Amino acid sequence: MDPFWSYGLMIAGGAGWTLALIIAVIPVGIVLGLLGAAAKLSSWRLLRFLAESYTTFIRAMPELLVIFLVFFGGARAFNWLLAGIGFPEIQIDFNPFVAGVIALGVVQGAFATEVFRAALLAVPVGQTEAAQACGFTRWQTFRFVTLPQVWRLALPGLGNLLQILIKDTALISVVGLADIMRNAQIAAGATKQPFTFLLLAAAVYLLFTTVATAVMMLLERRANHAWRRA
Amino acid sequence: MAETTAAPLPLEIAGMRKRFGALEVLKGIDLQARKGDVISIIGSSGSGKSTFLRCINLLETPDAGEVRVHGELIRMRRRAGGQEPASAAQLRRIRTKLSMVFQSFNLWSHMTVLDNVAVPPQQVLGKSRAEAVKAAEALLQRVGMYERRHYYPSQISGGQQQRAAIARALAMAPEVMLFDEPTSALDPELVGEVLKVMASLAEEGRTMLVVTHEMGFAREVSSQVMFLHQGSVEEFGPPASVFAAPKSDRLKQFISRSF
Ligand SMILES: Nc1ncnc2c1ncn2[C@@H]1O[C@H](COP(=O)(O)OP(=O)(O)O)[C@@H](O)[C@H]1O
Ligand SMILES: [Mg+2]
Repeated sequence: MDPFWSYGLMIAGGAGWTLALIIAVIPVGIVLGLLGAAAKLSSWRLLRFLAESYTTFIRAMPELLVIFLVFFGGARAFNWLLAGIGFPEIQIDFNPFVAGVIALGVVQGAFATEVFRAALLAVPVGQTEAAQACGFTRWQTFRFVTLPQVWRLALPGLGNLLQILIKDTALISVVGLADIMRNAQIAAGATKQPFTFLLLAAAVYLLFTTVATAVMMLLERRANHAWRRA
Repeated sequence: MAETTAAPLPLEIAGMRKRFGALEVLKGIDLQARKGDVISIIGSSGSGKSTFLRCINLLETPDAGEVRVHGELIRMRRRAGGQEPASAAQLRRIRTKLSMVFQSFNLWSHMTVLDNVAVPPQQVLGKSRAEAVKAAEALLQRVGMYERRHYYPSQISGGQQQRAAIARALAMAPEVMLFDEPTSALDPELVGEVLKVMASLAEEGRTMLVVTHEMGFAREVSSQVMFLHQGSVEEFGPPASVFAAPKSDRLKQFISRSF
């Protein structure tokens, strides 16, 4: 086969890993973000301190450093913990994908914490007071009133985070994930046609971010349904 | 304790106090509402009317005082720097008997008018969806909002939103309804439609506490008028005596400014 096509296929395969990474990181980031925001707004000081430390630490670190910490340190810490609770025979190894999900999830979660915190504060207090006055529990107030409104307010910020995430996945190539970036580099080196394959990679990233923008627009339209004039 | 054979009052408040920092906003307020009473609470801005209403259903926590709804005391317990409700479950149960209508309507903006009225009975009173929707439709019919039941709050006028909010309050089948300046956020031409609904509720014998600047409503619809001044009840009585023969100078001044 023509090397262009075989390396092209390799990059397409890498796109599969990149996509899988993006899809796996999104829920991790959202859950960590919601928890972080809830902790920051909690009346419990210890929770506020923990959440504040988390976002401060993560935002101060280069993403690459977080990835290295998770990849090289994460498995060791995990095994040490397992041994500590009495399972020394279990030894796990982080593969680049798992390390990538954890590292990027933790980074996304820190930024999503700020997005959700701002969104939670932007829900008018009258909305939750009306729920309390009706006899809603705190959980019901959150589930039926706060959450649907927070989602809408958070979507634009989450859209930005998704764009960043798509590009940050390329960093996981340095610990060996066979993603778009890594395969493009290999192809570029092997064929001595760096420009061709790097441009191909660029085209795939552009495709991903374009689709992401379209999806976010759709979600925002749906979430804003109730606020549109009839 | 004195024995009473009479039915318990819908609402009894004794010695309610509240301060915000150095500012004492409520200085010991008593109020008894009999069944069918419509009590208008008047007073100048900042006199503590909203705080009083919000302390009744514990949206604000009063520093002292007792609230009894249909004879049942809302239990409080001491805690650092004040008190708090002793039982969240009891508070929720009592709140369903004290529906509130807010100045800014506070309809849930992500729900249709129908859901605003149907969801609380479903979630809080455990009604089935079908039952809750049926009851909600009847209530919306009654406040003239049935045709708009599938609209969202942002798509209807303030007067319509407030009528829907009244239907939401009615859906809980409350013992007492609390209104906090329900027409103050409305354009003048929309005030009438809301007052009409409220007058019809008074007509059918509902027990209501209404903070209002609508002196016409206070005079014609209410059974009692309470004049609050700087956190104390300055005058209390039927509208005929309060408006026709005000005793205090402050009430005289307030009335002359209000008509
Ligand atoms: N949450 C609060 N924190 C501090 N001060 C408050 C708060 N709510 C009300 N106040 C003050 O309490 C006083 C009474 O307010 P309010 O009950 O809203 O009066 P009204 O409804 O009669 O206009 C005002 O001086 C107001 O500024
Ligand atoms: Mg007020």
